[in-house]
Amino acid sequence: MGSDSKKTLLHAWHTANGANMADFGGYEMPLWYSSAKNEHLSVLTHAGAFDTSHMASLLVSGKDAYGLLQQCFTNDMAACIGREKKALFPGRCVYGAFLNEAGEVIDDAIIFQIAEGRYMVVINAGMGGAIAAHLEAHKSGGDSEITDLTDRLGKMDVQGPLAAKVLEKILASPDTVFDRMPYFSFKGHFDASAPEADVVRLTDGTPMLLSRTGYTGEFGFELFVAPEHFVKLWEMVMAAGEALGLTACGLAARDSLRAGAVLPLSHQDIGPWPFLNTPWNFALPYDDAGTGFTKSFIGDSALANVAAPEYTYPFAGFDLRKVTLPAAVLDADGKEIGTVLTCATDMAIGRHQDRIYSIASPDRPEDGKIKGLCCGFVKVRTPLDAGSILQLKDARRKIKVRIETDIRPDRTARKPLKEMR
Amino acid sequence: MAKEINDIILKDGIQYAEDHEWAQQTGETFKIGITDYAQDQLGDIVFVELPEVDTEFSKGDEFGTVESTKAVSELYMPMGGRIVAVNERLADEPELVNNSPYDDGWMIEIATDDTGDFDALMGKDAYLDMLKGL
Repeated sequence: MGSDSKKTLLHAWHTANGANMADFGGYEMPLWYSSAKNEHLSVLTHAGAFDTSHMASLLVSGKDAYGLLQQCFTNDMAACIGREKKALFPGRCVYGAFLNEAGEVIDDAIIFQIAEGRYMVVINAGMGGAIAAHLEAHKSGGDSEITDLTDRLGKMDVQGPLAAKVLEKILASPDTVFDRMPYFSFKGHFDASAPEADVVRLTDGTPMLLSRTGYTGEFGFELFVAPEHFVKLWEMVMAAGEALGLTACGLAARDSLRAGAVLPLSHQDIGPWPFLNTPWNFALPYDDAGTGFTKSFIGDSALANVAAPEYTYPFAGFDLRKVTLPAAVLDADGKEIGTVLTCATDMAIGRHQDRIYSIASPDRPEDGKIKGLCCGFVKVRTPLDAGSILQLKDARRKIKVRIETDIRPDRTARKPLKEMR
Repeated sequence: MAKEINDIILKDGIQYAEDHEWAQQTGETFKIGITDYAQDQLGDIVFVELPEVDTEFSKGDEFGTVESTKAVSELYMPMGGRIVAVNERLADEPELVNNSPYDDGWMIEIATDDTGDFDALMGKDAYLDMLKGL
């Protein structure tokens, strides 16, 4: 752990609660408290609380803020909401990436439209300065102001089927807040002086930005408050969740949950190579034919002219044995065809006959004991079909895996909020 | 880390290796496992790969792997010998290594005519001193 690692406001809480700490993105973060496995499982069965205040956020505002973000962000903010591809509007957020001119990922992001001409951009730990500079460099005289909120915002996630039951105990008006709050929508503001500050308040009056997003694939929320309220918010959530089985979760569970949910880790699954042919193609502004883009953006022409494209696929193994990175991908003939990007263990899934089941699957077989499966992403030089069998090879062993279209089934992230109260 | 050094459980009557394995003489044979410090550092153990009975190993050979949610780690022989038994319970209950590292979580049992390797291992106090120096 680097001695120059930054600490979040919850550092003392983490260490007092037995966390195993490690450096992540320049921050000293909890890997797990008493058990990464139990933390992972608790997010499927009850709820988990995650300190995510190492993540960076920017505010982008002004008459030309929309144009600047449209130019720099991969997803088309004019056509990204729902099946009908409506334009982004206040109270909704959208996932995408910032690319360089070579079409390579600088970082991924969720853009929240707070109001007309006012956006919040949530990016990864340590990326506030780089993305702020990238946006500044492309302003070209336009009217947009970029504010880096790194270390000036408290952020935590509450994820799992009981997340709404936990939060309704600490919200001033839970019925109003939870009314019409679909996946990838948000309400409120963390800034007491913002016009939206009254929309979501804690029982003690603290304003909060509450978002139906997360990084686990499960039902839940991300909570943003001013830093002076952050430790109190965490303690309110932990107290409210005690009787509901809420568990504090570290980054190990966060990583295994997101891998099973087919969500990328920036700088690992997406990074300095063309953002093309991935499970996250929905973050690119493909037209209906899937051949062209509906807008121009930084990196678009490079993506249209990639000489030797690579392909990223999710995989799952046949038991929970992993490979350690770096690891190679071998095809059925034993030929090396690419590299392993992520290899984690989703402790909540198992194979039975031809399917993957989760401990949350209503139709899981009674006789099949779910012990966990290794899973993650591979990047290969040839396109593969789902169902392809590959081997992953590290310095120690080879393991057999299967290319999948999805990994952990029966996830709850998109469930209507009214079913979860 | 989760446990302070003073909270690490160390057992009397067994010998400790620098790689955090332990060995215990049980009559004619020796049982081998990993220490409480090792299991605490690894986190939840989800899979243990053990060798075939009758395999011969020298001191320092890799005899298997222990896999946690965090990483895969090699297991090294604290002393040479021939495998006479492996802990079959670990196939279904790898968490025994976390919950009972010196007893139910033992890994292999070996036979050897040469107890020099065993005698050269650290006692409890020497191992504790080594942990304090880490």
